[in-house]
Amino acid sequence: MKILIVEDESRIAKRIKRLTRDILGDALQLIIHINTLHEASIYIENNSLDLVLLDLNLNGNSGFELLSKAVSESFHTIIISANKDQAITAFEYGVLDFVPKPFNRDRLEKALHKTITTEKNNEGATKFLAIKKRHRIQLISVEDVLYIKGAGAYTELFLADGKKELHDKSLEKLEQLLSSSFERIHKSYLAKMSEIKEIIVESGSKYIAELKNGKRIPIGRTKYKDIKAKWF
Amino acid sequence: MNLRFLTNFLLICFILLITSCSQSPVFKEYQTLSRIGDQQEWATKNWNDDGWDKRKPIVEAGEVYWTRTPIDILKAPEPLHPYAIRPYIYGEYEVFWDGVLIGKNGNPGQEVLLGPEGKMLTTFILPTHLSQEGEHILAIRSSLYYFPDHVGMRVDIANYDDLLTDRLIETSYMHIFAGAFLIASIYFLFLFLSDKKEYPMLIFSISCFLFFVLNLTEFITTYVPIHYAYHHIRLEIKGVLMFSISFLIPLYLSKQFPIPKRKISLLIYAGILLFIFFIKHNFIDFTTRNMALSMWFFSFGITIFGIYKKMKGARLVMLTLFLALLVNFIIPFEVGIFIGFSIILLGMFYLLSLRIKEQRLAYQTSLVQSTRLRLELLKKNIQPHFLMNTLTSLIDWIEESPKKGVLFIEALAKEFDLLNQIENQTLIPISQEIALCRTHLEIMEYRKEINYSWQEENIDIHEKIPPGILHTLLENGITHSLPQEDNSIKFKLIFESNTTYKLYTFLTFASVSTEKMKDREDGTGLKYVKARLAESYQEHWKFSSEPTDHGWKNTIKIYS
Repeated sequence: MKILIVEDESRIAKRIKRLTRDILGDALQLIIHINTLHEASIYIENNSLDLVLLDLNLNGNSGFELLSKAVSESFHTIIISANKDQAITAFEYGVLDFVPKPFNRDRLEKALHKTITTEKNNEGATKFLAIKKRHRIQLISVEDVLYIKGAGAYTELFLADGKKELHDKSLEKLEQLLSSSFERIHKSYLAKMSEIKEIIVESGSKYIAELKNGKRIPIGRTKYKDIKAKWF
Repeated sequence: MNLRFLTNFLLICFILLITSCSQSPVFKEYQTLSRIGDQQEWATKNWNDDGWDKRKPIVEAGEVYWTRTPIDILKAPEPLHPYAIRPYIYGEYEVFWDGVLIGKNGNPGQEVLLGPEGKMLTTFILPTHLSQEGEHILAIRSSLYYFPDHVGMRVDIANYDDLLTDRLIETSYMHIFAGAFLIASIYFLFLFLSDKKEYPMLIFSISCFLFFVLNLTEFITTYVPIHYAYHHIRLEIKGVLMFSISFLIPLYLSKQFPIPKRKISLLIYAGILLFIFFIKHNFIDFTTRNMALSMWFFSFGITIFGIYKKMKGARLVMLTLFLALLVNFIIPFEVGIFIGFSIILLGMFYLLSLRIKEQRLAYQTSLVQSTRLRLELLKKNIQPHFLMNTLTSLIDWIEESPKKGVLFIEALAKEFDLLNQIENQTLIPISQEIALCRTHLEIMEYRKEINYSWQEENIDIHEKIPPGILHTLLENGITHSLPQEDNSIKFKLIFESNTTYKLYTFLTFASVSTEKMKDREDGTGLKYVKARLAESYQEHWKFSSEPTDHGWKNTIKIYS
């Protein structure tokens, strides 16, 4: 696992490093500490990572710009910050967890645990999905997303206005962030349950979900029972 | 409040106006004839005065002369309510009505011998049997020792009671105003004494007082007998009072509505007033009228400027000026001038109350501001970014190296203690502020593991400085700087002073951060510094904050 710590307090960065090594043990391949937003931004662009631990207030500058960049990437982001009042906004951006300072080993372990398992993010507060456009990051409201299709390491977001956008996060990671309103109905599909009009059973035990806009997406055979029990 | 006062005042004016116009005259006065000389027969009703002079006689001091005036009584008096006559004459005289001596005022012809006797205003009852409808003859034997060139003759005939009480009523009304302005004068004098910078209050107080004295001077003849020989003293006093008031009102207005080239304009205006005061000095009515008029025009000019510049209260003052003018068109000058002045003074009063309100608001704002600054200082060490980061580091130190953790806690305790000591002060010794900065650096060293160093140059430990401002600049320096290659950041405080100013230069030596510094320009930190400086030094300070090759440079200049 490759982890980047963005933190301008050297003592705290050391503490995060030490505790993370301790918690992850051999699973940790690389842990690196950067203390400015600018350098962190460059590093994110040029290296592959599995997790970023980000402080939102670095050298007097707000880390939200870096945050929107980070959440558009394939990896998860966890915020470690002193300003608890920024937690709600951070969750809206789609971070996996928000660890308020001061924190102990248990709290950090809980946060790191979310990245290892596919445990769902219970907060369910994600309001935006950040997608990479040329030279900029665009925030898409979760409300506008009808369903998401996995496409290898990437995902395709199908929007209410008919557009399709690419996202760098895997379907599994998005499922973690969007668990409150979306359901994994198929190994390649994540659908917003409120958009499903009806479930059609076709011959040969084929299950199809028909959306309000008429679009049909398949439901996995193994998923059908769970979904039916939970939603209908 | 002021406006209600104004309406009441106008109501009273209106009543006065009505009462003064309500009675139609009961007599008609014909051409007065005069003759120098002295014969008792000249008093008789049917004396042939064909050869007498229609012009005013030119008499020598003390010379006796006679005047004969035919008067028609238009309506006989009601029974038991006799008519009376009141001559407005300079000199000592005897009054004959249809040949009968009905009264005397002093001793005509014997003024030197017997000394001044009599008074300016006297009222004589007309015998009922001689005041029937028809033609009568008023003969007056008089002498004018003191001002022989002031010969004049005018009479008033009316019901005896009315003649006596009308002027008393008028006087009492005017004295009510006089009293009000005396109290206003004393009140604003006290206000001025409590704050000696408030010159408009002093000017207003003096204006009110002068107006009070002018009012007394004008109406004193009603109840204090003055011999005509001393009458000019009263007139001179009146003239001087008019002059002063005519100067003070525009002076006051020019303070409230500062016009360009104020001093020169006022000097020229004073020159014009002096010119009016000294030409035709003996015609006091002419002088007062012209002075009042110049005052009106000059005040008008200043107020126009005030309105043009949209200054508060200018419109109301303009209104009072027009009201004063209007009053003087419809009321005789002697009364009108007082009412006019009263209205203008009320306008000035309103301006003062506006200013007092402004001051009160400013004071309240400053109180709120002080409290806000105090809270901001207190908040420094409990705002989450400082506190939570410190606590996180502290936990780590305790886990890793408990002994150092204890030292860290001690440094933290010291900073809290210092902040507590300075929390409710507006100026603290520089040594205390420096101690605060040093402790803060100690804490930050534990947190950031950067070698911070503090240097001072030429510090005078007796100097005082608003609390927390260097601390704020230091915080900025720590937050926005990256360490130099040897992992150090250096801060240096330099003090210089001379006779005109004291200068603190606060330098940060660090490698220049590549981060954008959006909020550096006027972030909350610098706002705090500026607000503290304004609180303690008003406008007498200058603050700058700019990047340099070696890091950052702040300067605080305090003018003495």
